[in-house]
Amino acid sequence: MERLGSLWGGKFFANLLPVFFGMLGVIITNLPFSVLGSWIPSPMYALMPIYYWCLVRPDLMTPGWAFLIGVAHDVISGEPPGIWAAAFVATYAAIDKQRDAFAGLSGLGAILGFATATLVACSVHYVIFSLYRWQLMPVTGSIKEFAVTSILYIPVVVVLAYMHRRFVGPLRREF
Amino acid sequence: MGNGIWRISRARGRAHLPLAVVGALAVILILFGKAQSSLFDRARTDVIDWMRPALVATRIPMEAMSRWAGSIGNIFWVYQENLKLKEDNARLKQWRNTAQVLTERLQRYQLLLNAVPDPALSTVVARVIGRANHPFLQTMILDAGKANGVKPGQAVMDQRGMIGRVYLTGEHTSWVILLSDLNSRVPVSIEPNTDQAIMGGDNSPMPVIETLAHGVQLKADSQVVTSGDGDILPAGIPIGVIVPDGRRYRVALFADQTTAQDVQIVDYKIKPEHPPSVAQQELPVTAAGLAPVAPQPQLTQQQQVAPLPPPVFKPPAAVTPQKTPGQAAPQPGSDAETGNQ
Repeated sequence: MERLGSLWGGKFFANLLPVFFGMLGVIITNLPFSVLGSWIPSPMYALMPIYYWCLVRPDLMTPGWAFLIGVAHDVISGEPPGIWAAAFVATYAAIDKQRDAFAGLSGLGAILGFATATLVACSVHYVIFSLYRWQLMPVTGSIKEFAVTSILYIPVVVVLAYMHRRFVGPLRREF
Repeated sequence: MGNGIWRISRARGRAHLPLAVVGALAVILILFGKAQSSLFDRARTDVIDWMRPALVATRIPMEAMSRWAGSIGNIFWVYQENLKLKEDNARLKQWRNTAQVLTERLQRYQLLLNAVPDPALSTVVARVIGRANHPFLQTMILDAGKANGVKPGQAVMDQRGMIGRVYLTGEHTSWVILLSDLNSRVPVSIEPNTDQAIMGGDNSPMPVIETLAHGVQLKADSQVVTSGDGDILPAGIPIGVIVPDGRRYRVALFADQTTAQDVQIVDYKIKPEHPPSVAQQELPVTAAGLAPVAPQPQLTQQQQVAPLPPPVFKPPAAVTPQKTPGQAAPQPGSDAETGNQ
């Protein structure tokens, strides 16, 4: 199977695919439709491609891209500038530091690995927002966001793995 | 191709520098955004205006999917839903008749009292193209902006009640802060006693009643409407009903923020009130059969009486009190002088 990137003579498409999925995640997170109703926050779809490609192709998902995806998230969601950007960069740093441990996980372990990354993102976001507003924010929303993002990673990672295998490569067959 | 193993780039050493740089950038962005929020808001509206076609394009398949997913569950409840709708319809027809009778009566009373009519409200219909439902933020993006006459502060409502307020406008898009958002504060009036209060969001589906007068007891299901205080929002927009929650009161909103797709932006401008002029026949004096008093002629500038000079205290000269040894002369303002004993 030939990758689309190589069809173009370069890796332009393949290089942009992880970032495209990150941006798509930002848009989907902020679309005016909610399957789960208003009492559950929208899942952080943008974090999923960051986590996935930070593990398998960190050369394509660099800290700069994670920062830009976070800025896009801030812009579209209407949050104060830089908060999601800082949360995504901090999560990227955590994944980067423990890449060997995260990359060795499979099956349920991989889901737990993503849950750990989500916990980092939610915690950093909570702390920064509390500092920004200079008041202790309610923690319930962050817990719900953490839970729903971790659960929804299961179907989304199937799509990400397929796109990675089909267009980007290399592939992790056991997943 | 697939060799069954992770092929991970071992570029950690190279990645550390950009990581530190982007971390610093993020912190700078937060601080800069805090200091210059208006600048960032302008950039935000420009970006969203630019992204509007993408948001609309993404919305269409998602809307179809959402409708399809929602309709699957509804198939099982069609019969019960139909019965319920028939019942609701019959009840609503009764209410409509009552409302018509009361509206006509109200108009008659207003005519009798020469009441100043409520200001006419114009509305702009807009589509929801984005909705942020995050732990500390609940906003909407609408596809109407300055070009459609939308301004910050205007109320946004669906067919059932108020949803939120516009807080940022771009050329073709605008941002709405929902009533349930942490930053939302709306002056409300709680019927039937028109108790004034402030309703604040706490990111839960039901906002909280804050700043209620001491000792006021609210009843469940009392209707909450906008009070119009501050001249920002029009008075009387329905919001929801009171739901007791321990010691506090919450408001169950009429509008459903998660399903609202088409909304109205209410254009409310305070116009100077011009009450109808009073006819001579309506004056109480005329009604009592008395002749109205002729109007006083206007004095010219020269005819105006000069203001009186301030009074000057003059001691009485006729009576001179005899000085007795050991008795001092009365001082101005003393009890002996004023006669107060």
